[in-house]
Amino acid sequence: MTEPITPTITLDERGKICPYPDMDTMTTLKKMEKGEILEVLLDYPLSVERIPRSLKKQKHKLLTIEHLDGPNHRLLIEAHGLE
Amino acid sequence: MDLDTIYTGFFVGILFGFALQRGRFCMNSAFRDTILLREFTLLKAVGIALLVQMVGFTVLAMSSVIELNPAPLLGLANVVGSFVFGVGMVLAGGCASGITYRVGEGMVGAMTAVMGLVTGILMTSSGTLKTVMDELLKRQPEFTADVDDLVVSSNKAFTLANVVGVPHEVMALGIAAVAVAIWGFFAWRNREEDTDEAGSYRLVERIFKRGWNWFFTGIAIGLIGMLGFWLSYEAGRPAALGITGGYKNIFNRQFGIGADPVMDWIGMFIIGTIAGSFVAAYFAKELKLRAPSPNTLILTFIGGLLMGFGAVCSGGCNIGHILSGVPQLSLGSLLAGAAIVLGGWVTSYVIFVLPQRAS
Repeated sequence: MTEPITPTITLDERGKICPYPDMDTMTTLKKMEKGEILEVLLDYPLSVERIPRSLKKQKHKLLTIEHLDGPNHRLLIEAHGLE
Repeated sequence: MDLDTIYTGFFVGILFGFALQRGRFCMNSAFRDTILLREFTLLKAVGIALLVQMVGFTVLAMSSVIELNPAPLLGLANVVGSFVFGVGMVLAGGCASGITYRVGEGMVGAMTAVMGLVTGILMTSSGTLKTVMDELLKRQPEFTADVDDLVVSSNKAFTLANVVGVPHEVMALGIAAVAVAIWGFFAWRNREEDTDEAGSYRLVERIFKRGWNWFFTGIAIGLIGMLGFWLSYEAGRPAALGITGGYKNIFNRQFGIGADPVMDWIGMFIIGTIAGSFVAAYFAKELKLRAPSPNTLILTFIGGLLMGFGAVCSGGCNIGHILSGVPQLSLGSLLAGAAIVLGGWVTSYVIFVLPQRAS
């Protein structure tokens, strides 16, 4: 068992339309310090697939994608911080 | 219109809606994400679908299964209408097909966008905005070329093939071959980047549970578009798929506008599309009634309204002009497609990129 991770910031993007879940996630991560944890709650299928691709490009670390009920997902991301 | 044959519209709609939902196929995302997120996944799906149809329509036409029906060139109405459509789709959070499939997923923002779209369509086709459209249509370009020698279809529309003066099949297959060669080159050069992680799942799960990858999505949409053109042609509607005309048909019927006594093929297609997306979302457990803030709901309605006006002015939405029109090489569709992309880019830049720069 690993220690539960405490997120620094939580974004609730449920119900939001394209592309706000992606935009909010990426702009929030940009302002976070290296190592801080962002928790994102999502229910938009395209963003669930697209955010991990954007994270890879920006070098943020996707810790977990947890599939909750229905289209609901919970992402935990470790911010890469500014170069 | 034969009542028995229009149900093929419903059938094609089911397939189309299913594929849209599984592939998350939306042209608003496809174009917008290139500048917003440097994402090309959906754009590649659109590209594949266009290629499949460019070859597919040509083969179907050469074997006399269908007759090509490229959209007419409307000049200023294409440019203004489709630009406004592009602005609208960014505000609405989806193109005409994108918001339609998301209705089936239970997204309330897409439902209000569709309400706006329908309102815009009716206001422009038979309401107050019709005068605006008529003004735009008056300013049509004059062409002196003798189209009779150059026709590829009975409607005498200008296409890339007939203005250059080569047979349609030479132009269409030529463009497709060049596109495949260029694409192949770049795919080979960037072969490390594309990794498909879905390969480890079973086929049934890949189709019903997981989002489709861009290649499979593009092929599926292209083939469904070909099937749609053929069955629509057989049903007495000799045209490829479109969204705007379908909503117009459904709601003209509801409000008693026009003389057509029955729901036609393309109206049944729209109902099928929503049903197909619903089924896809249900099996993938992605069905959920969910709504954004009231402000966003109003914005998506306005976006839909602009899309409705733009699509009617320009004679088609992103499906009619881009998915169905570009493969037929219609000059009107190429112009409209470029204006949709431009409208989408300008709006995305203003509402998403600029605020980020400022902060």
